[in-house]
Amino acid sequence: MSARELAAPAVAFVVLVAVIVGGAAAVPFVSGGEPTDVTNLADRQTDVDAVTVPEADSEGSITMDSDAAPKTVLIDRAHANQISDEKLSTLVNALVANGHEVEYVTQEQARGPAWNESLRSADALLIANPNQPYTPGQLAGVEAFADAGGRVVMLSDPASIQQFGIFGFGIQQQSNDDPALNSEFGISAQSGYLFNMHEYQQTFKSVYATPGNGPLSQGIDRVVVRDAAAVSTADGQTALRVGERTRLSTTRRADTYGIAVRSGPVAMVGDTDFLTPESAYVADNDVFVGNLADFLVSGEKTRNAPAPPSEGPGRDEPVPTRPPTEAV
Amino acid sequence: MTEDTSAASARTVFVVAVVAAVLVSAVLAPLAYDAAQSAQSEGTVSVVTVSGTITASTVDGVSEDLREARTNESIRAVVLKVDSGGGLVAPSERLYLEVLRTAEQMPVVASVQGVGASGAYYGMLPADEIYVLSSSEVGSVGVIGPGGTTPVPDSIIRTGPDKAQPTAEDRRRTIESLKRQFVGRVMEHRGEELSVSREEVAYAKTYLGPEAARNGYADGVGALPTAIDRAAELAGMETYDVVRKEPPFRGGFFLFAAENDNKTMIYKQGPGTTGPVPVTQPVLVDEIPNHNPELATHDPEVTRNVSA
Repeated sequence: MSARELAAPAVAFVVLVAVIVGGAAAVPFVSGGEPTDVTNLADRQTDVDAVTVPEADSEGSITMDSDAAPKTVLIDRAHANQISDEKLSTLVNALVANGHEVEYVTQEQARGPAWNESLRSADALLIANPNQPYTPGQLAGVEAFADAGGRVVMLSDPASIQQFGIFGFGIQQQSNDDPALNSEFGISAQSGYLFNMHEYQQTFKSVYATPGNGPLSQGIDRVVVRDAAAVSTADGQTALRVGERTRLSTTRRADTYGIAVRSGPVAMVGDTDFLTPESAYVADNDVFVGNLADFLVSGEKTRNAPAPPSEGPGRDEPVPTRPPTEAV
Repeated sequence: MTEDTSAASARTVFVVAVVAAVLVSAVLAPLAYDAAQSAQSEGTVSVVTVSGTITASTVDGVSEDLREARTNESIRAVVLKVDSGGGLVAPSERLYLEVLRTAEQMPVVASVQGVGASGAYYGMLPADEIYVLSSSEVGSVGVIGPGGTTPVPDSIIRTGPDKAQPTAEDRRRTIESLKRQFVGRVMEHRGEELSVSREEVAYAKTYLGPEAARNGYADGVGALPTAIDRAAELAGMETYDVVRKEPPFRGGFFLFAAENDNKTMIYKQGPGTTGPVPVTQPVLVDEIPNHNPELATHDPEVTRNVSA
């Protein structure tokens, strides 16, 4: 084929390609393309005010009103107590700053007669989240201690309440190991935690409690507890009650449950989280911690009580080799 | 001689033309068939699959399918085929926003297969209607996440007290804020249908199909074909085509809870991780199975069986 014969197809090829490709390139210019219009849906769908959770106001200071003479507060560390030093620090600091002494009972110091010896030198006893049952001897010692005017404060979070063997706080059988003590102090706790889906601080388990009666509630507008158990007393005072529409996790029933009660020389609080340095200054928690410290040192215990075995036969039973109740 | 040559040349051109015509037709015939067929239908319903744990990569796939549905003029309705118990928070919100963007342009109907809970329920909120099976589970409108923080060792240098160590209060506020966003959007999209209050929604209960259809978490009991037909009806189509979009499996992960130093931690494990990795961010999931992480570290086969 000559060059002249190839020229016509070549021209046709070039023209065709130019028209088709050029046409394709020109179409968007003619049609104008798709307008880019993107609505900012994420912004439109977010109500910033409604989803902002404010920080909890944390102010005030833990002070004690009591001008009682220096007392010794014993903290139970002998029953696998599930409480950190960090939590105890707020209460301990308040006591020490006001001239009181704080001692800890270790497992060694709670064996046999050593338990009563430890109690004898103290004016108040703090028991928090024990996870080992008390022996009958120990229970009798605590009862004698309270009868002699010693103050007893018990702190108990919901989770460990079933393992709480003293005064029958728990609802399980192994906790109610001494009906006599149980009825004497008349304090009980329900299983499950409290929550409020209507009014709460930051999370549904952080419920508000308002003052009831008694010195423990003095000067309090409201406190915040993070994970609380409902406690009640037969004939004592309910110091703090949760707000209406607060429910118990196990029954889902709404009630103004008590979270702090007092029955004579014994007080019980269904929470320990209010003591953490992080929560101790929220709302009026600082006032409540101060009231609790005041309560601990407000007793006038008879000297040398609980009495040594020689002076008070029958008080200190011999400690059995195995706890009579089922260990947990 | 010259006549013979030109006659042969003409035959050659004829043969080439025929062959070219056959080839071109072979290419164009299916297109013509499709065009003729779609001329019979009034449009297409795109069925987009949302399954497995909702992660960034699964939402990437679904977003692509939804974007195609929005840009392809022949697609006039979308059906979300959902089978997921949720996943991470941010991907769940992305899914929600993608579905919302699509729903503002065309009818979107969700069809829950097994589970459509937590993050997956979040994602389908903007749908015009939600269909469930009698055995489906929907709901779980809530957030879970770790409450405490692992203390940072003294040997690590940080620039501020909150660096890499949020306080328990920070955690509570974050999770509560995420919950409010989730519950707020549930009330916005389904408030009129729901017979339960905002407070009850926040209980984060999971409902079985029939109950969900009654209390407004879903619009009715129906399988996938029902949802597809309903989507077409909402788009005003009597005859329609269906295209199914199965996002490519990019390898998600599964979540499980395990006890570690007396604290319950949430772990995740997937193809990209060599072992269980603690999840430190809040998650939107229906359920976190309990799991022994030791199994995962020693025998991946066992892990799969346990998680299945």
